[in-house]
Amino acid sequence: MDTGAGVFSVAMRALRSRALPYLAGAAGVVLVTGGIAVVRPVAVLPNLSAAYVLLVLWLSALWGWRPAVAAALLAFVAYDWFFVVPYGTLWISAPRDVLDLVLLLGAALLGARLVSTLAAQRQGAVAEAAESGILYEVAIAALREPEGTGALSLLCRRAVDSGGLQAMALLAGEGEAAEVIAGERLSRADLRQARWALARGVDLGARLQDGELHLMRIFSPRREPRLVTLSGGVAVFWLREESQPTQDQRHLLAALFGLAGLLLDRRRAGAAVERARALEASDRLKTAVLSSVSHELKTPIAALRAGLSTLSMPQAGLPDEHHELVAGLDRQTSRLDHLVSDLLTMARLEAEVSLERSPQPFEELLGSALHALRPLLTGLDLRIEVPPHLPLLLVDELQMERVLTNLLENAAEWTPSGGRITVGAERQADGLGVWVENEGPAIADEELERVFAKFWTRRKGGSGLGLAISRRIVEAHGGTIRVENRHDGPRFTCCLPVEAGVVAAERTAGG
Amino acid sequence: MVDDEPEIRRALRTGLGYQGFDVRAADSGEEALAQVAGWRPDVVLLDLGLPGIDGFEVLQELRSRDRRAAVIVVSVMPGERDKVRALDLGADDYVVKPFGVEELLARIRAVLRRQAAIADGEPVIRAGDLELDLGRREVRAGGRPVHLTPTEYEVLRVLALHAGKPVTHTTLLRQVWGEHAVGDRYNTRYVVAQLRRKLADDPARPRYIVNEPGVGYRLES
Repeated sequence: MDTGAGVFSVAMRALRSRALPYLAGAAGVVLVTGGIAVVRPVAVLPNLSAAYVLLVLWLSALWGWRPAVAAALLAFVAYDWFFVVPYGTLWISAPRDVLDLVLLLGAALLGARLVSTLAAQRQGAVAEAAESGILYEVAIAALREPEGTGALSLLCRRAVDSGGLQAMALLAGEGEAAEVIAGERLSRADLRQARWALARGVDLGARLQDGELHLMRIFSPRREPRLVTLSGGVAVFWLREESQPTQDQRHLLAALFGLAGLLLDRRRAGAAVERARALEASDRLKTAVLSSVSHELKTPIAALRAGLSTLSMPQAGLPDEHHELVAGLDRQTSRLDHLVSDLLTMARLEAEVSLERSPQPFEELLGSALHALRPLLTGLDLRIEVPPHLPLLLVDELQMERVLTNLLENAAEWTPSGGRITVGAERQADGLGVWVENEGPAIADEELERVFAKFWTRRKGGSGLGLAISRRIVEAHGGTIRVENRHDGPRFTCCLPVEAGVVAAERTAGG
Repeated sequence: MVDDEPEIRRALRTGLGYQGFDVRAADSGEEALAQVAGWRPDVVLLDLGLPGIDGFEVLQELRSRDRRAAVIVVSVMPGERDKVRALDLGADDYVVKPFGVEELLARIRAVLRRQAAIADGEPVIRAGDLELDLGRREVRAGGRPVHLTPTEYEVLRVLALHAGKPVTHTTLLRQVWGEHAVGDRYNTRYVVAQLRRKLADDPARPRYIVNEPGVGYRLES
């Protein structure tokens, strides 16, 4: 019974609001007809009919063109009935009266249309101004407080009070960690549903398209929220029970949701920057720790080498057997130094210390590596096969020189005296191929991949890190390194990134 | 010799003493500056990581007072940045610790040779079979005359004046092109490529101009 009464009152309310313009129109026509009847004896009739037109214009300005057209038709009938001969019928006898009536109807209809268009435009402009004002307000709030959620909360409030919603919430975050960051609190079921929608990027009951918010019908006993997934989160909202948002309100809501997407995106980007900053700080810390550890490890070795190398000078005057002993200790200390250097280099690479890439001619890097290794390479047959006009490498020059040095050292280690080492380079589809090949024993097939593993070494006394370091550096550059057995011995090949475009200009200018 | 490690001071004093050098040791920058003022050494071996005022400050102070003493920076694992900074502040060379005394002696001798050549005011600089006649602005490589543009000649002259010592990109750019060019390494790379071509110097197996990764170029002495 209660429900019935409720439905009845709602229906009455709706009817009242819908029927009012038509009732007013009818009342107006009655009044104007009465008025014309009163003043008719003293005035010319066709001029008086203009009063109907005024009524129609007034109606159309107030309620749009529909009630105005209805009133115009009613006025047409009333005029014909009461004031056109023969009276009391809808019959028209004089052709002049037909013209009068048609003019009356035409003026009323045209005027109704014009005025209602103007009224709609004005209303649109007002709505647009209101929308701009709200967006501006939210945007300013976002600028004033970029990190916080104040702007998003304001956005939710405006969506409710100006967008005609019952309630709204914004959810942001990843997967199960997504939380409401502004607006209404959600029930557990609604939260679960919102997270589900966010994870899959789906909309429920509403959709944003071409700057409009489209609302779907929902058939559900429960008051379901509607969900619109935005780029950085999801908007959750409920419509009011008694009324749907008007078109202007839907427009405003679409704009607000768009803005919410931008703000959520920015929050997410801000969080990413924050994480990057923390990583950088931890990198700095690692670098600082490593350089302090380096100092602590290297200083005693430096003292040992200074002392032992001094003692092994002939002027120190040690007896022969002591001299041998000290010289041996100096060599061992030197080896220890290399091992520690390799370990520190590996640790630094594993701490992901960043690369400083710049365009580098391969020949120059090779030149400095070969120059540094001159003592090691004497007595070997070194051949260089580097064609002219190679593209510039885009690499960290220090790191890449280390790779070349390691590969050359490794080759020299395994080349018999007087044997051949060949260094070459060639342009490849995806970069520059650089290889170092030496005459010497082949690497067993099952060990071809293992040579790059940390602490794996073919000889006693090596750190087992040189090739591992090389691989790490090459891969950090986005390159590849591999080894294969060629005819005379193993060949190590790296594919390294190059800088596109620059080389040709430089070489041409140089040529 | 400026170093805060007593064992290193003791070892190097002995080792360099064997070669007839008169060595005095200081364990801090302040003490080094005080000693240099009264004693005027030929070479200062300077550790960068010192307690109190650090090696860079000592270097700066030494250079502002007296341009005669050669400075060899001696440091545990200096990054390339530190090397470049020390060289740009006027260091004559750097040696990375740990090192053997023989290696250090070789560096000291090279620095002294260069100093002597500059002190003589000889108008012709020789580096291997390369000859630079500063008076006539003429260059010969292996006896063969080489025609250089003014810029190429300037670059070679700056490298030759510091033969055996790495010259940083910044120093080259500043001395040849001027302050405005500092930072533009394209200039040095391009001119050095030209020089190498004219000197028939293969960058992969350089005889004259050696690339020092992360630092600059060095003319072999």
